[in-house]
Amino acid sequence: MITTLVAALALASADPCAPLEPTARADPGASSAYRAVAEAEAAAGSRDTATLAYRNAAALDPADASSRAALERYCSSTGPERDPFQEGLAKMDAGDLRGATAAFRAARARSDEPSVALLEGICLYELGEDREAEPLLRMAERSPENADLARLYLGLLVLRRGAASEAAALFDAASASAAVAPVASDLARLARSEGPWAFTFTASSGYDSNVNLAPPGAPPARESDGLYAFGAMGLVRPWGSEGPYLRGQGLLNQQFRLGTFNVAGGDLAGGWQLRGDSWSALGEYDFAYRTFGGSPFVTSHRLLASASGVVAGDVTIGASYLARFESYADGFSPFSGTVQAVEARVSFPAGSRARLALAYGVARDGARLSILSYLEHGPRAELRVVTAGGLRLGVDVAATFRGYDVYDPALSAKRSDTYLDAAALVEWDLSRGWTGQVALRGRRALSDVPGFEYAKLVPMVGLAYTFSP
Amino acid sequence: MNLASLPLILALAVAGGPGGDEHLLAGAGAFRDGRFDVALVEFRVAEKLGAPEAREYAAASLVKLGRPEEAFEAFASSPPGEDGLLDWYRALACYDARLYVCARRLLSDLGRAGPKAAAEAAKLHAEIARVLAPEPAAASIDWYLARCEKHGAERRPALATAYCREAAALGSRRPDRHGVARASAELAHLDAPDASGARR
Repeated sequence: MITTLVAALALASADPCAPLEPTARADPGASSAYRAVAEAEAAAGSRDTATLAYRNAAALDPADASSRAALERYCSSTGPERDPFQEGLAKMDAGDLRGATAAFRAARARSDEPSVALLEGICLYELGEDREAEPLLRMAERSPENADLARLYLGLLVLRRGAASEAAALFDAASASAAVAPVASDLARLARSEGPWAFTFTASSGYDSNVNLAPPGAPPARESDGLYAFGAMGLVRPWGSEGPYLRGQGLLNQQFRLGTFNVAGGDLAGGWQLRGDSWSALGEYDFAYRTFGGSPFVTSHRLLASASGVVAGDVTIGASYLARFESYADGFSPFSGTVQAVEARVSFPAGSRARLALAYGVARDGARLSILSYLEHGPRAELRVVTAGGLRLGVDVAATFRGYDVYDPALSAKRSDTYLDAAALVEWDLSRGWTGQVALRGRRALSDVPGFEYAKLVPMVGLAYTFSP
Repeated sequence: MNLASLPLILALAVAGGPGGDEHLLAGAGAFRDGRFDVALVEFRVAEKLGAPEAREYAAASLVKLGRPEEAFEAFASSPPGEDGLLDWYRALACYDARLYVCARRLLSDLGRAGPKAAAEAAKLHAEIARVLAPEPAAASIDWYLARCEKHGAERRPALATAYCREAAALGSRRPDRHGVARASAELAHLDAPDASGARR
């Protein structure tokens, strides 16, 4: 019995079409069972398993001429040859990943090519069978012509188990190939953003066409100015993209000439993120402080809760709620109060490289002075595109309809405004950590009180650097 | 996922019928090494040599080889609930054969397959929920009915029954109950256990 077992294992590991060597001791009983299995497999159309079983049958019984003949027929070059590699490709293309995996495995049994190991590893990764995928991808990585794609998938694999730093290094290595560089460099950036900490510094400069929000054709005169801005943001999240986090942020927006419109400030926020396979949620507290024209302007405490989930295919829906408790400095104190806002959002793919999000928000500002309190609502759309060359494009448009609570005797009107906003951003990676940005923001404000109408355009160019593990 | 219940197979091999034990062992070894074609042959031989339990392991190998309908049929001869890991493969066979209602039922009962399998099962469950969320299309139900009739004509009653059950389950979720009467009529001609062990 043990002899038969050893023979079976030895036969199994060999090429089923290699020259046949009979076992030392014939076992016609086992041979007969192998032949019956071979015939059943042949009837089921499974050439590989039929060949294996015929081979074992013939090896265990030298007198079994029918198995020998069947084996010769299957292994004959004149017979209908099936190429498991091609079969695997066809199944992979058809989305039959499990079938493709089996076919690639059969192909490797014939010839253990790194390119086949790569494809089998990719299929297993897609099936979520990471433990089986990793050794195959490592095998493919050792082959120069497959190394970059193998590293890309190894990066995805280690990112899935939460090793963001290791994933980023693998994506960086994969970026050596021009073919995968755009995707790999994007993934490297994303992996770094998933890490336990990141510090980002930005510097930008631009032009504001209407700093004082002056109405068209009426006093005060519109004042335009150049500006420069610096920003810093630090994020610490010891458990990566799930769990607690702490964020600190500082900003300095300086006008070249009109210093009374300078803005500076800082935020300190802490929160907790939760993630499932198809959903995510977060809760956050944020403390903010701002100065305006060099003087204290406002402090606020904000509570935020948001959740989103994949509902079908690649369609995501989400909702958020925030409450911000604002306390303005003397001179602005009538604006103090509580802002509450909710937004519902749906996003979906718009082509292979773009994603479109549509949202509708409602906000209520309950200011201390009733003539400053309002309710506003409106739609918003965001389009995000990643080009083949690695450029990231963003276009946002929004309309906001604001109605104030009460009649304002000073204005002789119950104020009602409409804001039309548009923004476009182009971003690209210059090298590891460095990002270039060009942005254009525009707003048209309409009001039943002409003095509150204005239009402005703010083009900016900037540079960002991110430190991350 | 590997067939991690090698100790169980070893125990079964010791208790296996004469001649089947070493092939059961050889099949388990091949399965562990990812040689599912070899594993299938060895499990089939073990079954022929008197180890009937090898049939379910052969079914697991068929799942790995991308032959879910044959796997479903192989599982159909025994009821689920004996081994959590084999039930996971049983559910995969249903899923790969597009028998989503069948897979969902099996996954719901999957409790003893270990934490890794439980996590995988939860993922598959979510995927099935996504597939089954919209109202089933009439064309989709017709596809199941066609599979039922085809397998019925081929005298593969377990598969035919499963496809008709799936058609009936999907059709009953539509206001017009598309295909339910046709599936019921087909099922009346069939009386075979399905992979989940249920009978008509």
